[in-house]
Amino acid sequence: MAKGTHHVIIGIGIAGNRAAEILRERDPDCRITMITMSRLPFYNRYDLPKVFRGVRDWREILVDPPAHYDKSHITLRRDSRVTNVDGQRGTLTFAHNEEIGFDRVVVCTGGSGYLPEDLTDYRHLMNGFATFESAMTVYELLPEGGRVVMLGGDMIGLDLARTLLETGYRVTLVVNDYTFWPHRVAADQRGKYLEALERLGIEVHEGAKLERVKEGPKGMPARCLVFEDGSEVFGDVVMPFCGLVPSVEFMLSSGVDIERGLLVNPQLRTTNERIWAAGDVCQIWSAEENAYRFYYGWNNVRAMGEVAARNMTGEEEPFVSIGDEDLYVDKSGHINSPFWQHD
Amino acid sequence: MRNDPRGGQSGRGGQVDRDEGEVRARTPGQRGEVYYSEDPRDVGWVRENIPCQTACPAGTNIPGYIRAIIEKHYGGSYEINREANVLPGILGRICSRPCEDVCRHGWPGNGEPVNICHLKRAASDLKSAGHRITESLYTPSGKTVAIVGAGPAGIAAAHDLSLLGHDVTMFERERDPGGMLSYGIPEFRLPRDILKVELHNALRLGVELKTGIAVGKGEGEVPLSRLLADFDAVLLSTGCMAAIPLPLRGEKKGRQGEDPVRTTPGVEYGLDFLVEHHRGEKKTVGRRVAVVGAGFTALDCARVAKRLGGEEITIHIRTTEKYIPVTKDEIFEAKREGAKIVGLRSPVGLITDESGALTGVRFVQNRLGGWREGGRRQAIAIEGSEFVEPCDTLLVAIGQKTVNDYLDVELGLDRWGNAEVGEGGMTSVEGLFAAGDYVSGAATVIEAVGHGRQVALGLDTWLMGRVRRKEVVRIEPVEGPLRERAFDFIPRQEMPTAALAERFQEPDREVETGLGEDLAFEEAKRCYLCNLKYEIDVDNCIYCRACIEVAPKNCIKLVEGIEIKADGTYGDLAEAHDWDHVEAIWIDNNECIRCGACFMVCPTRCISISRNEIVVRDV
Repeated sequence: MAKGTHHVIIGIGIAGNRAAEILRERDPDCRITMITMSRLPFYNRYDLPKVFRGVRDWREILVDPPAHYDKSHITLRRDSRVTNVDGQRGTLTFAHNEEIGFDRVVVCTGGSGYLPEDLTDYRHLMNGFATFESAMTVYELLPEGGRVVMLGGDMIGLDLARTLLETGYRVTLVVNDYTFWPHRVAADQRGKYLEALERLGIEVHEGAKLERVKEGPKGMPARCLVFEDGSEVFGDVVMPFCGLVPSVEFMLSSGVDIERGLLVNPQLRTTNERIWAAGDVCQIWSAEENAYRFYYGWNNVRAMGEVAARNMTGEEEPFVSIGDEDLYVDKSGHINSPFWQHD
Repeated sequence: MRNDPRGGQSGRGGQVDRDEGEVRARTPGQRGEVYYSEDPRDVGWVRENIPCQTACPAGTNIPGYIRAIIEKHYGGSYEINREANVLPGILGRICSRPCEDVCRHGWPGNGEPVNICHLKRAASDLKSAGHRITESLYTPSGKTVAIVGAGPAGIAAAHDLSLLGHDVTMFERERDPGGMLSYGIPEFRLPRDILKVELHNALRLGVELKTGIAVGKGEGEVPLSRLLADFDAVLLSTGCMAAIPLPLRGEKKGRQGEDPVRTTPGVEYGLDFLVEHHRGEKKTVGRRVAVVGAGFTALDCARVAKRLGGEEITIHIRTTEKYIPVTKDEIFEAKREGAKIVGLRSPVGLITDESGALTGVRFVQNRLGGWREGGRRQAIAIEGSEFVEPCDTLLVAIGQKTVNDYLDVELGLDRWGNAEVGEGGMTSVEGLFAAGDYVSGAATVIEAVGHGRQVALGLDTWLMGRVRRKEVVRIEPVEGPLRERAFDFIPRQEMPTAALAERFQEPDREVETGLGEDLAFEEAKRCYLCNLKYEIDVDNCIYCRACIEVAPKNCIKLVEGIEIKADGTYGDLAEAHDWDHVEAIWIDNNECIRCGACFMVCPTRCISISRNEIVVRDV
């Protein structure tokens, strides 16, 4: 590896942070720049439910102290949005028009919460849960013992639901096509898992299609969901949990292949030889399935960051998915998912 | 690269009122008068610096009509549109918007492109009910022209030819004029009252419209050869009204010569589906509808199928959403209405039950291949990756092609069956012209309108034996900046739409409800007005650098030379890196966002502004 090779990591989530560790380990003399839109350094999004358990100081949620980046000789650029990556020229452009060069870049921008198109009219009446700031907003909006209405209920949302129930809040789940995402649950198995959720204390609302979301009348909870059969569900906060959309907008002019995510080979290289991708942002070619597919979960994402970094520094290792990917109900009747397993 | 011999940006070439080769250190603003130029530098400036207008196949003066909206001259804005595109209210709804793809406001670092298309519609919606159309009529020429096919290209050509004084007769085989506008595009995207008014206005200057009359070789049809004998010129604008067959492989090839799409119950071409639906025929779909194709027709099929009661609508595309040639808005609305789009797959076979009815489609998985024209991608099938998607209805919308079986004259056609034409639009047959999709293959409505107008000019030139209309640059001094820096921070104003429930209660209800006056005003202010040219008169510049200091972009440069291209237009700037090499101070109009900050700060008032617009004038 040439001395002073400049590696850029876009996104400082689990994949990005693991990539940085491996890059520094394998190439002690390289320059590493990490870029994030967040104002905070790396924190684990799986830890966000801890906000409801009392972890509400941003310093407590960080995985490493801010000084870690200095010690590791990593330039961390926070609150910075990349608008374009030019793999041919080896440059990337920020929203504030600055351009920087790179030798290799790994895109670890993950995904943002997907809001189904038919719900977009009600975006202003809903709250997301992707960042520490948004988690704090939900915490502040919820009265003690208040009710969260979850639309969809992907595994990120159901993980939060468990914490909410354990900390004295109430949860109503409005079931739709995205419930249990990213798990694909067969129709005949669905009831079993929904029953397990009910045993946890989640109120499951299934059947009639959601017609609209509106503000609750005075004296009632802040939000009211109206269904096509005329029924209504009230909640203090409405949160869509309908899976993730890979954050690839800034790569649209980069020339690399994109379907939903960045298309990468098993070595996690995009169609540009200087650009790799890791984590929820990439679709990896699977020779067995003859298709590009996503791999989710903390373990997989972390492993992708590692494989990408190793390959950026000379290896040619394929990514191998870690662990099985099935949702299951354990002997005690609790629903569980490898998606929730993390250090 | 060489130095500009004219000593700076103020040296303008090509004014029609100047001596040959003379260089004037004087700006139009100082001169204070409007003038017209054919100089390639001025024409080239407009082409390079007004990307939206250059990208518009009809050459619409977009900054001009947006400026009129800011001034709340909606009728005037509509008329500016109409000079280039005779169907503004229609195109303001259904245009493919090549202008927005290149809008300077959408360039990296500048934000989102201006909502140009919807502003066009705003001008149409907001003009007064009593708005009167302005047309400049030529005296009658005594020439007769027959136009076959009353689609957008034919309509645009008919309008322009009638303005030019020719007697135009249109032949249309359907009951109503409009072609794909009437029979392809659903009413929820294009209300028929708007369509009828604009078609009527386009043809009201004496065009004789004969609908329900087919030109062809069959009984009761009018032979093309007879039109050629009876009229001074004939224009073919019959579009692409045949579906491209589905290239299937495997178990369902059908009997010899038989198209399984036409013989399998539950399977239909999307074009036929839409045309029959809009003719008023009763169409039905199953619960699970698969649409194959990636264009506007495919999306329209999906949305119509949803309104006809389809529950699960899936659009299957060969490449990925990023590369399909439809607007983001259309994709979003289709998804919002419940359609799913799945990529990287091609249909290879039909699955049927014992009765022969469709039960599914066999697909092969694709991977992305090389690049195709227009920023699209090739799809490469992955052998052995076949899979089946169950469905009850399949609508095939993978493209359209021309129909030529009506011709009774020998016409030069290319390998795709499109008419081959010369520069003026004439085919291999003397006096027989062709325009629109019939020449280009299936394209967009705005391309058809643009080509129809272009061929109308060529046809007029041929009929009259001389060029009567020509594009020149109109240059008008402007007193001061027309926009404020604050306008750059206004977010793009999106089109309001009808609530989902209302769309399905009233299937023909227009989905996009219009920007309205307030939103249109906000959106119009975002336009950089790229037709404004900022120039520095170097003879009066004291090189104080005040303009450079206030510029929000890297738009004012000290240069040591400017490339002058072979056609006389300006090319790249050679920036000077030390003071000793500075030959001039130059406004890079590519970077300039017309904020006017430099103009306001200049102590010697050596910066001038002029409005540069392409106009068509009599020769």
